[in-house]
Amino acid sequence: MDVIVVENLRKVYGDVVALDGVSFTVGSGEVFGLLGPNGAGKTTTIKILTGLTRPTSGRALVAGFDVVEEPAEVKRRIGWISSEVIVDDELTAWENLEVQARLMGVRQWRERAAELLKYFGLLEAAGRPVGKFSTGMRKRLEVAMALLHGPEVLFMDEPTVGLDVGARVGLWEAVRQINRDFGVTVLLTTHYMEEAESLCGRLAIINKGRLVAVGSPEELKSKYGVDVIELEVSGPVDLAALSAFGEVSAADGRVVVKTRGAEEKLAEVVKAVPGVRSVRVKKASLDTVFINLTGASIEGERVDLRQLYARVRWARR
Amino acid sequence: MIAQVYVLYKREVLKLVRSRYMWVMLVAQPVMWLVFFGNSLAGMPRDFLAQYFGVGNYLSYMLPGMVSILMMTMGMFSSMSLVFDKRLGYLKRVLVTPTPKSAVFLAKALGATTRGFAAVPVLLALGALLGAEYKVHWLALAAWVFSLFAGGMGFAALFTALTANASDVHAPGVVNNFVSMPLMFTSTALFPQQFFPQWLRAVSEVNPLTYLTEVGRDALVYGAAPNPIHVLAVALFGLSASVLAALVVERGLTAD
Repeated sequence: MDVIVVENLRKVYGDVVALDGVSFTVGSGEVFGLLGPNGAGKTTTIKILTGLTRPTSGRALVAGFDVVEEPAEVKRRIGWISSEVIVDDELTAWENLEVQARLMGVRQWRERAAELLKYFGLLEAAGRPVGKFSTGMRKRLEVAMALLHGPEVLFMDEPTVGLDVGARVGLWEAVRQINRDFGVTVLLTTHYMEEAESLCGRLAIINKGRLVAVGSPEELKSKYGVDVIELEVSGPVDLAALSAFGEVSAADGRVVVKTRGAEEKLAEVVKAVPGVRSVRVKKASLDTVFINLTGASIEGERVDLRQLYARVRWARR
Repeated sequence: MIAQVYVLYKREVLKLVRSRYMWVMLVAQPVMWLVFFGNSLAGMPRDFLAQYFGVGNYLSYMLPGMVSILMMTMGMFSSMSLVFDKRLGYLKRVLVTPTPKSAVFLAKALGATTRGFAAVPVLLALGALLGAEYKVHWLALAAWVFSLFAGGMGFAALFTALTANASDVHAPGVVNNFVSMPLMFTSTALFPQQFFPQWLRAVSEVNPLTYLTEVGRDALVYGAAPNPIHVLAVALFGLSASVLAALVVERGLTAD
């Protein structure tokens, strides 16, 4: 059964189109990732699915209820974790949980809250104002608050932004456990490919308000991933001779060949280029999938930056 | 709904009690008004005061007015605190739960009114210390407490409704300027109606602050029985403003 159904969702803010006809489904018990550059529409999608804002058109069902028709029913069944940590700093952890519990109408919240505090290692600090907590502790409290009422679906908007490595890995483990032990469906957005790869069973890549690809990390890599061969050369290069291997670009004594099955082609590529000084191979990864699909070009940006910097230096003289 | 209003109100009160600045403000603001403004007419001839103000000194006259103004100012804090909840994202946290938007507003208004009530005893005690003469009528006092509650809710409602879709922290201040100031100067909070020109008198007749202040004067200064029309006027204002604000907030309160 699909826990989240999104059909042709559009959201327009003034004359800015934040979502331009997005459709996807998330099955029960999945960990589903939404990937995309800043401003792609990830947060807008979450805001619509959690009932914080209405779509301009299209339909969205969460846990079997329409987010526009029956937002209260949806809200009873979901948990939400923001990208900024949102807790009340002047209240204690315990008081924050009480507010959450009573807003959600959780009975016997004390027992559940105590369990969750213990689970997240916050029991000893429970009576202290949250403002004195570290970011990692505040994040864990936020997760505890989101789980207090036993949600069917958990929405996490960039859950590990601003966390140190330890806290990040700890949160990943928590997400896995929540998903495995309680069968909670998770929809998360992220910028970190590593995070997407290690947590998500399926991913959707979203760019400029449109969904550009959906699939498991492996599927996406084999379908959209490219291997990159980078050559450092001393002399001029005949690019036409290389174009048989794939897409070629060259700048400042560096030649980049985007291809598939780089290992097999490597020997021939090196033979075709005179004066090779060094060779580097980057295998297809979610990073390259992401760059491929969203059109972000790391090579291009570097060239631009050089020119910009040169101009700035010149201007200073 | 009740559980949600209760816990959001509890949050307001906890935040109030824990804020050091709130306590400073609670005492400092009345001191300024009473000491400086309250004494500004100290040299007024006694028989003039008795004839037109019905009191022995100006401080006694303006004290109930001062309390009314304080209650109104608290309304601004209610809307300000709502805008801050937006800025900090906290309102999103509340609105992803099944909490009705009007519960958020009610808790804010109740919090503001509570804050006002906390300041009233400070104000009255300070007034007594500075020479205000009280002549208490107990029934009128009860009516005053009720009216302060109704008025406080009404003003908080007015401010919150006007800033429901604002996310700019300056908005409540601007609204304050355009609402509180005119209300203050067109009411009988500081001066009696006899000195007003005709048009100002007309405005003051429909100003809730006037009625709230007169109920307070009967209770505290004149020692007279409460005028049911005055109490009713304040009650009507509080109720209609609250209902109106609840409707506006349900439709127009934005999460960020």
